[in-house]
Amino acid sequence: MSQQTLSQPVISPRAVPKKGRSLFAGDVILGWLLVAPALIVVLGMVGYPFLEAIRISFTDRMIGRGPGRWVGLANYEYILGWPDFSEMVVRTVVFAIIAVILKTIVGLILATALNQGFRGRNFLRGVFMLPWILPTYIIVLVWRWIFDGQTGLLNQILVSWGVLGENYPFLARPGSAITMLIFVLVWKGYPFYALTFLAGMQTISSELYDAAKVDGAGRIGRFIYITLPGLRQVMGVVILLSTIWTMNSLEIPLLLTGGGPSNATEVFPLLTYNLAMQNFRLGEGAALPIMMLPLIALLVVAVASYMDKEATQ
Amino acid sequence: MTILDRIPESLFRVLSIVVIAVLLLMIIFPLYFMATTAFKFEGEIYSELTWIPREPTLSNFRDVIFSFDIPIYLRNTLIVAFSTTLIVVTISMLAAYALTRLRFPGRALMARGVLFVYLIPGSLLLIPMYLTIVRLGLKDTYPGLIVANMSFSVPFCTWLMMGYLRSISVEIEEASLIDGCTRLRSLWHIVIPLSVPGLITAAIFIFNGVWNEFIFALIIAQDKSHRMISVGLSNFYRSDYYMMGPMMAGALIAMTPVVILYIFSQRYVVSGLAAGAVKG
Repeated sequence: MSQQTLSQPVISPRAVPKKGRSLFAGDVILGWLLVAPALIVVLGMVGYPFLEAIRISFTDRMIGRGPGRWVGLANYEYILGWPDFSEMVVRTVVFAIIAVILKTIVGLILATALNQGFRGRNFLRGVFMLPWILPTYIIVLVWRWIFDGQTGLLNQILVSWGVLGENYPFLARPGSAITMLIFVLVWKGYPFYALTFLAGMQTISSELYDAAKVDGAGRIGRFIYITLPGLRQVMGVVILLSTIWTMNSLEIPLLLTGGGPSNATEVFPLLTYNLAMQNFRLGEGAALPIMMLPLIALLVVAVASYMDKEATQ
Repeated sequence: MTILDRIPESLFRVLSIVVIAVLLLMIIFPLYFMATTAFKFEGEIYSELTWIPREPTLSNFRDVIFSFDIPIYLRNTLIVAFSTTLIVVTISMLAAYALTRLRFPGRALMARGVLFVYLIPGSLLLIPMYLTIVRLGLKDTYPGLIVANMSFSVPFCTWLMMGYLRSISVEIEEASLIDGCTRLRSLWHIVIPLSVPGLITAAIFIFNGVWNEFIFALIIAQDKSHRMISVGLSNFYRSDYYMMGPMMAGALIAMTPVVILYIFSQRYVVSGLAAGAVKG
């Protein structure tokens, strides 16, 4: 456990039997002094805003209209009263789950393929990292143009190949807009999965595979009984972490579909943004993420305990 | 035995290569067309699909540089990215040192808290952080952008450096302390030089993060004089009028620093992967 590791004396007692006390004497002041700048940033820019969000969620504050009045739970009631609130929550969770499952599957396939070991693998690894390092807004910009209904590349290609008779507005039909949104989420996210899975696979001893082969395990057997258990820790962290980020992904839906057509891709971070920044309704905009908090907190606690374990192993 | 097992090893390798090739094409496809479109004339872009620009031109780059203030946005982004990286790496290193090496009350709690704070999603803090920035009078200023970026990167960088510091041996430090070195001297002369690879990894992630950040840049600095490149470029297609050529040229310019940084620092990035340095 991390607690034990953290509280181990850094300077081993046998090295400094008597002077130990004096060596640590200045630690308390120095410790707080060194932590202070980071602590101020975190308390000031994360802690305070977090509490402030809770307070604002009980007011009818709007942008440019002063601090607003205390309205109790009115914002929460208002949001819960929306006919499509539950739909929006389900949509957010379902999109995230589908995207994470697809990223995991494609990531595992790519990692397995790359793990075959051949020349140029390091170069390929570099290329596959591009979606992950490139700015999200540029990636969305390019895909949005590709899917465009008027001059989009995909339409140009499909029409010139005769697959489509005429242009199809991919981002203006609910079904295809959802598909494209999930596609871009997966495209952007799976390479990171693949590369962490690959790193995990490379730590699995090849002797295990040889032993399994001798025992008559096939490819699928070896994958299920050796590879997957070997990756359990890494997969746990990546999947949980990515579920949090995917659920809270604002940039991709905002720039790709803006929530449309007719709210088909409206997910909770986007709705928060629209309430606050488009409709200037800060109170409701603050209340919405707080309603999602239990779900997010659950995921955060799960991934934190996983990562803590890994970091201090 | 399943069908998969009857596939001979050599065929399995071919299958792997096919899988890689297909996925690779999916990665390259949009990037290839972004790059080639940047060199095409408007007419060619909309009229038909060409794989190679018929008449390669630099006019899009000229337009985007001279008519759309891209140099100003690049300057703003560079200023904010460098300042944020410098400040964050410094204060996170100090905090990480204290949290892993010193003994003082409250340390264990803070060491745990770092990870939790890092995991708090930005959408939760969007509105209150915006209001805090406005109240501090930092809207449309560099300090405002720097402070907003610091709020996500300080917890992350501290966490990364704590992991790094735990992985390096404390024996030289112990020896220097026994020899009468003060904590601060030992930090400066021993711990920091040993931490350079970790610091570089952290700096790359932070610089990259600031360069690519969009949402907070959008709400904090819409004013042209302090607009970041992400906002400047996305304004192109947030309006109804599309200008593909200049837009793609701008995108190429905006991603160049990131790609160069990445090419030269791939091994640091890969080492950071293990630390869960991810948003995606």
